[in-house]
This record gives sequence, C-alpha cells and structure tokens, in this order.
Amino acid sequence: MIVRQLCVRQSRFLALNRPARMVGRFYSTETPIQTAVETPTRGHPVQPQDSEYESFEELRIAAQERFRRAELRRQQRRSLGAVIEDGYDPEEILRNPPEPKDITLELLLASQTHLGHSTSRWNPQNSRYIFGIRDGIHIISLDQTAAYLRRAAKVVEEVAARGGLILFAGTRKDQKRTVVRAAELAKGYHIFERWIPGALTNGQQILGHCETKVVNALDEEITELKPNLEEHAALKPDLVVCLNPVENEVLLHECGLNNVPTIGIIDTDANPARVTYPIPANDDSLRSVGVIAGVLGRAGEAGQKRRLEYAREGRFTYEPVDPKELGLKDTRETQPQAESRPQRQSENQDIQTAEAAANQ
Amino acid sequence: MAWQRPSCIVQSMQSLRLRPLRSSASPLSSTPTPFLLRSQKTNARGYATETSSDSSVQGAPAAAPPAIAPAAPAIDFDQFPYRPARIVPASPSYFSGSPKFIDHLLRLQNLLAENAHLPINSPAHAQRKAWLKLPQFREFVGEPVPTKKYKSLIKVLQRINRIRQPIVPDHVNAIINEYVRPGNPYAVKPAPPTLDEMGRARGRGKRKTSSAVVHLVEGEGEVLVNGKTLSEAFPREHDRESVVWPLSITERLGKYNVWATVKGGGTTGQAEAITLALARALLVHEPGLKPALRKAGTITVDARRVERKKPGHLKARKKPAWVKR
Repeated sequence: MIVRQLCVRQSRFLALNRPARMVGRFYSTETPIQTAVETPTRGHPVQPQDSEYESFEELRIAAQERFRRAELRRQQRRSLGAVIEDGYDPEEILRNPPEPKDITLELLLASQTHLGHSTSRWNPQNSRYIFGIRDGIHIISLDQTAAYLRRAAKVVEEVAARGGLILFAGTRKDQKRTVVRAAELAKGYHIFERWIPGALTNGQQILGHCETKVVNALDEEITELKPNLEEHAALKPDLVVCLNPVENEVLLHECGLNNVPTIGIIDTDANPARVTYPIPANDDSLRSVGVIAGVLGRAGEAGQKRRLEYAREGRFTYEPVDPKELGLKDTRETQPQAESRPQRQSENQDIQTAEAAANQ
Repeated sequence: MAWQRPSCIVQSMQSLRLRPLRSSASPLSSTPTPFLLRSQKTNARGYATETSSDSSVQGAPAAAPPAIAPAAPAIDFDQFPYRPARIVPASPSYFSGSPKFIDHLLRLQNLLAENAHLPINSPAHAQRKAWLKLPQFREFVGEPVPTKKYKSLIKVLQRINRIRQPIVPDHVNAIINEYVRPGNPYAVKPAPPTLDEMGRARGRGKRKTSSAVVHLVEGEGEVLVNGKTLSEAFPREHDRESVVWPLSITERLGKYNVWATVKGGGTTGQAEAITLALARALLVHEPGLKPALRKAGTITVDARRVERKKPGHLKARKKPAWVKR
C-alpha cells in the first residue's frame, strides 16, 4: 500500500487551492532537488559474542556451563525463605498416585469425590449412593465410594494378575495425562481421544491394521510367531475402566454387547446399570478422577507385579503352550513354560485364595 | 471412520485375505488351523455378537441387538481364561485406532515436558526447520493421519524447536530431526541481485493483473514506460506520481533513468506494478534505502486480487434486493 499525504490529495477543497504545485512537479521528469547520490549505508552489526569462541562447539559448551551455573544458583536460593508444607500439588496425583491401601475418607473428601450434580439432574438409581443434599446438589456417600473403589481396585488387580488386557478410557480434554499415567502403571492400554464407534463390534475394520505381538509369561516378545499374527482377529479388552461414562455411551454399549466387563465412575446423573462395577463418585473434578484412576492404576501395577513374580519363580497361572499347536519348530522360547507344568495346581490355589479376598 | 480405510481396494483385499480364516474358524469347516492357539482364535469367553451370528448360520432367526446393551455380568474368576503365550497389542494406544501416531505424539509431549525448564527463543528466532509434509508424515508413521492431528503434532515439534540452540540436549535434537524432511530447503537461499555489466538493475513487480519489469541505470532522470514518456503512458496525474514515487520519496528523481515495460491490467495496476518493480531495482543500487522505501510502502507487495463472483450474488458479495413474494 502506498502511503502518502492522503488528506492533501484526496480532499477536493485542498487540491483545488493549490493545483499548480502538484502539476508542475510531475509533468516533468527532472527533479528540482539536489541530493548526494551516495547514501551512507549501514552494514550488519558485528556480533562480538560469536567472535569470542573459535567454534560452535565451544560456544555450546560455554552456554551449557552458564545455564548449569544459573540452575545451581536457583536451586541454592530455593531453600531460602519459608517452606510451605502439605500444600496441594496437582502434579503429585500423577507423579505418585495413591495405592488402594491409602484410600481414606479424608483423601476422598479432599479430592472432591463427594460432590454430585444438581438434584434436578439425578438418576434415582443412584439413591443408595447418595448421602444427602447440600446447596442444591447431591452429596455422594463417601463410605460407599471407598467400598466400591476398593472392590474395583481388587477387580483390576486380579485381571492384571491373570494377564488380561485392561483399557483405561477417559475422553475428556483434561483427562489425557491421568489416563496415560494409569495405563502406564497398570501396563494397560489407554484411549484419551474419541472412542471410535465399532472398535469392538467391527474390530477387524477399525483395529485390523494395528500391530500386535505374542509375548511369553515374562512379557518378552516371541518374534518367531509374529508372521502368524497377520490373520488374527482384532483384540478385545478384558476389562474397560471408563472415567467418564456419560460421554462414552457407545463404548459401554459395545462392551455390553461383547460381554466385556466395565468399571465406571458413576456421578449422580449417570446410569449405574451401564457398567459392571460402578464407583459412585464425582466425575467432573479432575482431582477426583485423578485419585480414582491413580488407585486403579496402582492396583493394576500390583497385579502385574504379582504375575511377573510368579512367572519368574516358574509358577504360571495358566496351561502352558503346546509348541506344536503354535506351529513352531524352534521351541527354545517356550521350553521354560513347559517345565512349569507340574506346579500349576499350587498356583491355582493361590489364585483361589486371592479371589476369596476379592469377593469378600 | 472413513479415513481408516480410504481405499475400497484395500477393503476388498482385506475381506479376501480374511475369508479363509473365517471359514476355518467356523464350526462347519473341518480344516484344522495350524497356527496359534485354537482357544485364542475363537475367544474363550462367549461374545454376545458371536452367538447371534452362529444362530443365524443354523437357520434360527437372529435376535435383534438390544437398544441399550446391559452391562456385562460380574467376572467369575474361577472361569477366567488363562493365557500362556498371550497375544497383546504392540502399543498401549492400540484401541485408539491409530496407535503409531498416538505413540509419536506422546513421545514428543514427554520430551517437551522433560525439557520444559530450558530457556527458549521467541518463535521468530527459532531455527527454521522443514518438517515432514502431511503425505510424507503419513508415510513415515504408516497410518492415515488426519490434518488436524498432524498440525497438533507439528505444534509440539515447533515448541521443542524453540529451545535455545546451544543448550538443547543432543538426544532432543536427534529426536526432532527424525521429523525433518530430507534435504533442507531453507539452506538454499537465492543469490542477492546485483548490477549487470552495463550498470543496470532489474526489478519485477506485480499489482492487480499487471506485471512490470524495470531496468534502472544511473542517469538524468528520464522515464520511459513501454517506450513512451511518462505523460504519454499515464494521462492521470496520480498514476504518474505513483510510478516515480520510490524515486521522489528518496529524492533520487534526477539520478536514475528508468526503462519500464509493463503489461496487463489497467492504468492503476500498471502504475503500481512499476512502483514495486522500480523500488526493487532501486534496492539493488542502494540497499541502504530499504527502511525508507519500506516506510513509504513501496516494497510491500499488495497481494489483493479481484474477488470472484459467486452464484446467487450479483457481484462478489452483493446480494439481490429482498422482495416480499
């Protein structure tokens, strides 16, 4: 855009007042103004900090050293002044989530699990989980929450101990890190974006291209069997933990159709019959969801640990593989499993005692 | 999800490939299945959908699926199937449908979180990198990634790239360089224009539908446009003023001779195309004039073009008058 004295030229009144100057100036190509042809030009400024160092590597080392010293100084000064103790750190739920044994009513109260929805939005099926009404919202009974959360934690632990696939689903925007962290702890699977409808009922079309692998009891991959997997049906989870069941009706419907058990956080406006194992709690608070997902993740972690410990001792919770049935010529990978056959019975007893604990 | 299987050929090949599997897995076929566990192929726990398909094979009418599927019954741990060599997903994001992309995204986000404390440059001063373009990225990931998700990943990459170059750890550089397309297009810069052997500077400019080429030599201030003098070429005074504006704003009217050829468009477009070309040619003679020319608006490209007419409109945006019936 050419910026000029717009008002001077555009205004008819002013232009009429002094037409001679404008015309006289531009009818001729000669310039009346005398100036020097050469303009003093400025080159690029020399950067002194670059010239101090011989090479980029030296500059890099010096910069890293400076940064390290600044960090050290900052750390030293951090200890000065007052220390705030017992503060709420949102990252702490992710970094160090509570274990099932840490579930207390104080923890649940502090993490706002008791806050339900407005009384007008309630689902009467939740009446047995509701403690009362305060400020127009339902308050969830925390001893119910604690009991149901402990039961769900035991379910997650037992499924993990038996090598089941546990899927953590939380599709709200802020639940991503919570979900990923819980899946990481429980060695499970996560979904934090939209659940693709049909991923269970039409699995071959939607998950058919996703990679799978065969692992032995110690979770080491058996690469010889990889080619056989190409024609294997898409996998289905053995347990689904849904952190926001109200938004994930499709997921729960597909789980129901496929007989996949589900655990869900049931707020006062949700239908508790949609999930197999409801946890009555607040699903709108990130902190509440973080505590519940953390507890379930820790439970899964304990289950996986137990399974691997048994496997390392040579005790397996299941019937060993017949190498012939696997279509395998080189049976070195599966040999340790075959040796463990006699000890299976004792293991089953262990599992049964654990189940008895879970069912209590 | 239409993008999961964009090609119908892929779908048909998939169904052809899977046909022998399905036939062998059905109870009617007697061919043995040589690979993997038979118990794994037909899932150990019965699935509601599978039982319905079996009944339809036997001739019984298939029950319609319920409007709201009831939740699965509680797990009976006595009957829970044990699996020796398990088939498990290769990635924790298997059930998302695009596990490889999600793994890439999480990896970069973790990398960013680890190095979030490092000092950063402003986006303008970050090292310019040519990231993989969308088709290349899809090939790199091996999944049909939607544009929006690709853009979200590029955003994370650009944020990592803003970490100050001397301080950024080596492994971070190594990881983000995986996403840079081969051959750095930003390394090749066009050579700066110079005067030719006869002392001429050449500049090109466009405005509306006109395009102009200007040859500028030191001289007495003559201006020829398509071989005509300025007043012959542009009868309107404003256009004449536009043509020599770069020279008059820098007080160089008598110092250079201008030889311009211009074509296309009308008088305003031609005049302002010459302005741009002339300013660019003047910069070859005297690069120090750039701030003055920039301030005068003569080296700023005006990219506006005539907006197209739309159906249902009288012009580009004008709508017919509203008439009651």
